[in-house]
Amino acid sequence: MTPLEILVAAIHGNPAPRIPVFCNLLDQGARELGMTQQEYYARGEHVAEGQLRMRARYGYDNLWSLFYVGKEAELLGSRDVLYADNGSPNVANFVIKEWDDIAKLEVPDDITRHPAWVETGNCLSILQREAGATHPICAYLTASTSMPALLMGMESWLQLLMTGPVDLRDELLRKCSDLFRKEVAAYRAAGVHVLVYSTPFGTPSFVGMKRFKSFSMPWMKRDLEPGGVEGIVYYAGMAPFNAVIRQVLEELAIGAYYISPMDSLAEAKAIIGNRGLTCGVIDDIRMIHWTPEETRAEVRRLCEIGKVGGRFLFGTGVMPMAIPEANIHAMLDAAFAQGGYA
Amino acid sequence: MLDDIIQSYNEAVFETDRMAALNVVDRALAQGVTAEEVVFKVVIPAIETMMSLIASDPDANLAQHFMTSQIAVEVTEKMLPKFRNSPEVVGRVVIGTAHGDLHSLGKRIVMGCLKAMMVEVVDLGVNVSAEHFIDEAVRLDAQVIGISAMMVHTAMGEEGCRKVRARLQERGLTDRIKLVVGGAPYRFDPNLYQAVGADAWAEDGINAAKVIIELIREVKRHDTP
Repeated sequence: MTPLEILVAAIHGNPAPRIPVFCNLLDQGARELGMTQQEYYARGEHVAEGQLRMRARYGYDNLWSLFYVGKEAELLGSRDVLYADNGSPNVANFVIKEWDDIAKLEVPDDITRHPAWVETGNCLSILQREAGATHPICAYLTASTSMPALLMGMESWLQLLMTGPVDLRDELLRKCSDLFRKEVAAYRAAGVHVLVYSTPFGTPSFVGMKRFKSFSMPWMKRDLEPGGVEGIVYYAGMAPFNAVIRQVLEELAIGAYYISPMDSLAEAKAIIGNRGLTCGVIDDIRMIHWTPEETRAEVRRLCEIGKVGGRFLFGTGVMPMAIPEANIHAMLDAAFAQGGYA
Repeated sequence: MLDDIIQSYNEAVFETDRMAALNVVDRALAQGVTAEEVVFKVVIPAIETMMSLIASDPDANLAQHFMTSQIAVEVTEKMLPKFRNSPEVVGRVVIGTAHGDLHSLGKRIVMGCLKAMMVEVVDLGVNVSAEHFIDEAVRLDAQVIGISAMMVHTAMGEEGCRKVRARLQERGLTDRIKLVVGGAPYRFDPNLYQAVGADAWAEDGINAAKVIIELIREVKRHDTP
């Protein structure tokens, strides 16, 4: 079976030789091509080449079209990026500096014609051509309730959310939700298989249960309803969200959950059961200081919990550049060995 | 009377209801509660209650931390001019985000709590160099440097906390200035603070205030002949 077929089998609970094994070595692509981050992320062909090489080197199943978190904000006018050669780029200059700037935000009619999409589109075309028939291609999309953090900073967004005028907050969220809808449609049209829905505000650890129900859930419905949830993976930016999985299953019917390493995987698996795909995620920040043996032991632990009954995927979180090469190999070797069903 | 005020204020803060909290304070002042009592018997205990709730309440959340801090500093700043005597300052802290890091939320939560708890806080902003942290801490005679980092490379990088630690050692300041860190990477790896040379870390912005005050006291104990 191809990695794409193995993923589809896991989603549907069908027999497969092993679990899917996902990894995200994003910034490592620049190092692989001997480029600075700025050079690397300037061209979609660089990102595609970097990601194809990383996948070939390590052998995991998926390919990422994500440049960096914050790239989406460029579709709404963000321009300045702070690059780092040892980590991920930051949004350096927020497009919303004052609340009055919200009225000036314009969601492009056709995002695929926007200059900020062009290189993403180029990257997707190459990935699709080279491996789209055999390997899952992933995209990263920020939920409407989290996108304002990329446009105005988390501090200003919480200030507006908690103390600002509701009509202004909703105007911003409508624009972010409209952008999300266009993005998800564009990614689907480009042949993306896995749409990682990044929704940190879709967890009670950000907003509490009451506000999750009254605020986050309605906006998530607005984001997702027009296009449906095919290929959507619920991801809360590594924050714990086991407490809301039942509600998300019942109200949004999302079929895949990327569980926080801070949550109990066993609990998540018990809640999701055969209603969806449980993704067990390793705490890859600890991998920086673990030995290969410790890394293998943690992968074994996750796979032993997760693969019982199928519908399980092994995945990574942020994969910092400081993780030793030996630990990446140890993790993936263990995931393929421990994730086998034979 | 004070018990009712404390309870009403706590409920408002935990519900992240700023207006309700401010109304409680106004009502308390109208009933003859002093500004000192508002800060020391209502506001600071509410922060301390939130510190313990974070560990025990599964629904404790970031929005609550943010509002606890913001309401606390807003009320304290309104009360201070009404104090009969200037309050005793616990100590002084310089705080900023690590070199290369632009995430300012955690720093803001910490600053709000510290100000309410009578700690002088100097905000050095975002993307702060190691040299600037130390120069300002020395210039202002601060007992603690607080470094916030939300990304792994800014938490662990050579230009961040590690360099601040190295410079403190070079200048013989390690007993005089303590170093505390916070931010997401430290939550995922609770031993990371030691690897980057910090004296302590805090799991969240609210508890950071407690950790920092303990470090201030440690420095002051060391300074006392």
